[in-house]
Amino acid sequence: MTELDPAPEYHGQVLDAELNLLDRQVLDVDEVPVTVVDDLELSDVPWGEPIPPGTPAPVITALLSGPVLGTRIFGGRPPASRLHRIAWRHVADVGIVVRLGIRGGELDVTWVERWVRDHIIAHIPGGRHDPE
Amino acid sequence: MKRLLGVALGILTAIGGFVDIGDLVTNAVVGSRFGLSLVWVVVVGVIGICLFAQMSGRVAAVSGRATFEIIRERLGPRAGLANLAASFLINLLTLTAEVGGVALALQLASSVEPTLWVPVAAFAVWLVIWRVKFSVMENVTGLLGLTLIVFAVAVFLLHPDWAELAGQAMAPSVPAGETGGAYWYYAVALFGAAMTPYEVFFFSSGAVEEKWTRKDISQSRLNVVIGFPLGGILSISIAACAAIVLMPRGIEVTTLSQVVQPVVEAGGKLALAFVLVGVVAATFGAALETTLSSGYTLAQFFGWSWGKFRRPAQAARFHIAMIVCLLIGLGILATGVDPILVTEYSVVFSAVALPLTYIPILIVANDKQYMGRDVNGRLTNAFGMIYLVIIVVAAVAAIPLMIVTGAGA
Repeated sequence: MTELDPAPEYHGQVLDAELNLLDRQVLDVDEVPVTVVDDLELSDVPWGEPIPPGTPAPVITALLSGPVLGTRIFGGRPPASRLHRIAWRHVADVGIVVRLGIRGGELDVTWVERWVRDHIIAHIPGGRHDPE
Repeated sequence: MKRLLGVALGILTAIGGFVDIGDLVTNAVVGSRFGLSLVWVVVVGVIGICLFAQMSGRVAAVSGRATFEIIRERLGPRAGLANLAASFLINLLTLTAEVGGVALALQLASSVEPTLWVPVAAFAVWLVIWRVKFSVMENVTGLLGLTLIVFAVAVFLLHPDWAELAGQAMAPSVPAGETGGAYWYYAVALFGAAMTPYEVFFFSSGAVEEKWTRKDISQSRLNVVIGFPLGGILSISIAACAAIVLMPRGIEVTTLSQVVQPVVEAGGKLALAFVLVGVVAATFGAALETTLSSGYTLAQFFGWSWGKFRRPAQAARFHIAMIVCLLIGLGILATGVDPILVTEYSVVFSAVALPLTYIPILIVANDKQYMGRDVNGRLTNAFGMIYLVIIVVAAVAAIPLMIVTGAGA
């Protein structure tokens, strides 16, 4: 095992994935809660083979949610087709919450919310009105 | 003037909102068996809930984050899930007990079977959550719950031997005929009843619901440090009433009618009317709080859209979760289980879950990224640490004491 090179210097905000991203609340552009960051997807790193020097570092490609929470807690890994992704390019800001630059309503991660709304809640009288 | 009114209203609702079926029953049971010798626990519990409710409210006001979001973020998914499972189950038990309590109180008022009142009560709880604005809900139940002050009035009307009561309270000892184990078991139960985790879930989420900001902190602090202690005095009055009337006769409290019996003896029918309104309002208010808390905890752990300030269609999973919880509560009550018994267990289990809830609050209240200049002061942290020790001791002791004493028998 050779020593790793010191991390290159950045001039932007430095984020610790574990501390600043995982398990943070995700809000959409209208401040509506979307999900919590259940896990992160990184760009492919070859697994089990030596990495030639000079290979670019992996980058975060997406925030993950859904069944991945179960496997993060209990171990294992869900099939890639069952991951609900929010592409990293939609992330607008990372603070005490992760803010997206788009609306959450159209994202895959909110399909349960939409299903419950359209099939149950909207059918109960008063479900679409403000409380009085 | 408006601000003053706001403070007054906040304090009044805190008094009325502090007492729930857990406090009513546990204090009456303790009063009838141990006199006022456990009053010190109520005092310790009230200071503790003031400390942590205020802290969680401040975190919510400054950062906009409610307590369970913080729990998941700080404890990680595993410990967060463990806490969610524990808090959620206890909350469900408490919710069941509160709905049962509403039904029992309505039975006292109407002599109609509680099993018939249970569905009515649960439906009313749902309707309020579905349609009524947060501030209206909180103020109405809190103000009506104030009629429980009749317990304090009853203490005076009963002309007790003040010296003896003061003696029990000031120099606590285990009364003859009771074991030390039972004494400490009920100490843990009273502590759990005063510091029930749903109170901070509700308080912090309520702060988000009402869109508190930094400038609301001082008002919320005032509400907490005046309202909760006055609520604590109500709790002690309930215990005192039981100690004066029930203890000398050797009556052990097992029903709600025994809880209110001293008030009736002191003030007759008028007092009974007041106490019934108070018990219905307090348990109904607590049923609302626990139902909402079950929605809050789930939604905040999983990051769903939540809040009564949104239309139900904009917080669909939050609302469906609460409906399911109410139905489960109904199912439990339909088995004919005694709500009083459910209450007694729920307060003890509350004590077990306390550390997992209060430790993350203390950590985040010290986090500059969240709190900026409003982090905890040294004094608050010192008290926070002392309370963590007490909370951990109570949590560790709760289950062994329950087994050893046969649940306080």
